[in-house]
Amino acid sequence: MQLTRIALSNFRNYAQLDLEPSPGLNVIVGANAQGKSNLLEAIAMLGTGKSFRTGRESDLIREGIDLAVIGGDARVRAGVVHLGCTLTKSVRGMRKHYTINGQGVRYAKFLGSIKVVTFVPADLQLVVGPPSLRRGFLNMALAQEERGYYRAFVRYQKALQQKSALLRGSIAPDEELLAIYDHALVESGTQVMLMRNHLVAAIGRHAQETHARWTAGRETFAVRYAPNVPFEAPTADSIGSAFAARLREVAPMERARKTTLAGPHRDDVGLWLDGGSLAAYGSQGQQRTAVLALKVAEYNVMKDRSGEAPLLLLDDVLSELDEARAAAFLTAVGGYEQAFVTATHLPAGLPAGAHVYSVVQASVRPEVAC
Amino acid sequence: MPASGSIAGPVQALINEFSKLPTVGPKTAARLVFYLLNRPRHEAQSLSEAILAVKDKVRFCSVCFSLTEEDPCALCTDERRDRATLCVVAEAKDIYAIERTAAFKGRYHVLGGLISPMDGIGPAQLHVKELIERIGEEAPAEIIVATNPNAEGEATALYLSRLIQPLGVSVTRLAYGLPIGGDLDYADEITVAKAIEGRRTL
Ligand SMILES: [Zn+2]
Repeated sequence: MQLTRIALSNFRNYAQLDLEPSPGLNVIVGANAQGKSNLLEAIAMLGTGKSFRTGRESDLIREGIDLAVIGGDARVRAGVVHLGCTLTKSVRGMRKHYTINGQGVRYAKFLGSIKVVTFVPADLQLVVGPPSLRRGFLNMALAQEERGYYRAFVRYQKALQQKSALLRGSIAPDEELLAIYDHALVESGTQVMLMRNHLVAAIGRHAQETHARWTAGRETFAVRYAPNVPFEAPTADSIGSAFAARLREVAPMERARKTTLAGPHRDDVGLWLDGGSLAAYGSQGQQRTAVLALKVAEYNVMKDRSGEAPLLLLDDVLSELDEARAAAFLTAVGGYEQAFVTATHLPAGLPAGAHVYSVVQASVRPEVAC
Repeated sequence: MPASGSIAGPVQALINEFSKLPTVGPKTAARLVFYLLNRPRHEAQSLSEAILAVKDKVRFCSVCFSLTEEDPCALCTDERRDRATLCVVAEAKDIYAIERTAAFKGRYHVLGGLISPMDGIGPAQLHVKELIERIGEEAPAEIIVATNPNAEGEATALYLSRLIQPLGVSVTRLAYGLPIGGDLDYADEITVAKAIEGRRTL
């Protein structure tokens, strides 16, 4: 798929922007705080509806204004689609409205209209960082491509919040109510685990292949789903009954400790190199190579599953890599239709035909192609 | 807002009051205030009286917990209403939605919200105990739980059905379905799936 136009109004530091990006590789070069990451963030929001950055949501809207708009035209397999994301500031916080071809749609429907794979410096912590980072990695990919994942995930989160509040004692203890929330957890959590299991298996295969190519087969990289609730077979029945049994088992402890103790909100992804834990025993270089293999795999799995190449968004990440790794990464995702890369300086070793744009104070200009 | 001197104190005070209302932002609030400034005094007077009357005269029905001027309310005292079916709703406003259809001839019971521990609302904070007492006294044949099909509505409906079923009363749930005039194409998967679940023979 390809973004043919992106229009911003009062988004971050952009008052107005109307840009027609090129197919292939778009390199956005600029000093810090000029707006290059903001542009990438806006493109990502057309795919995921959410910012990949942390921080206050109200900062998404230019200072002193209460309405921002991100609009984009994309060419997808089904034709041309026009996407809109409107952000409004109100006393009760930020509100987002989504449109597809001018029709207002709910977030669940907007999500994944165009698919994006983002790679930001924080992703470099994927191996050594906390499990929440690896769950986030799975969530972002699944929410965009599996219809139903987002709904199951939200349902799970809601039931979990209610159960936690009940265990904490925000209302009188009620076994009947706990049973109702546990039932909702098993129903939605089973779907979440099932889809995560499939995704990790697919990503693991791709990542292992890429990694073996890069290390000329000297090292073996393994990616394994590490569900908090172990199950025998990757079927809804097996997962569902394992989860229900586990909840019964931990019930007395959950009540004593006043907190939830089991379920996919505690999942992880195990990353292994030659049978040893990468986080514990891998060198920094080995960990970084593994992260790149995972991102390449994420990209390829999304592409395989949807039959369309997602947009590839690399925010300030090539400069974090040495030239050989950066080149290896771009070669490995060679099948992209369109990619956006931000950098403070023109990265070395760019493939021929890259389109370069410079950003100065929220104004984007094409440079002569290199 | 800074004391710029451009907006008089009472004007700002009313803007602040309107801004507290649901779905009203500061801009809409200001628009309402300037509209009122341009209307004759008696209109403002009747608006303020209507607001106070709501607070002073309207109270909760002691039987069904709907809003009423007379206690018990007109619905509870209407002998033509069917005593065999009792429709449980979250809020009094839901009664108006169902009454508009004229499809239901039974009586109502307002819970006063939905179960949501994270908001501090459990069965004890709702009129659940009173519902059980009513079932004991009035012995209806069927309880229709008409809560919204969202997570809280579902949990509340399940909770009530587990509570009521042992009393030997049948508990039903509103059927979910496709909006009339809507397109099957445009409905989301859950709506379609629920509509299939709730299908009927023709
Ligand atoms: Zn009444």
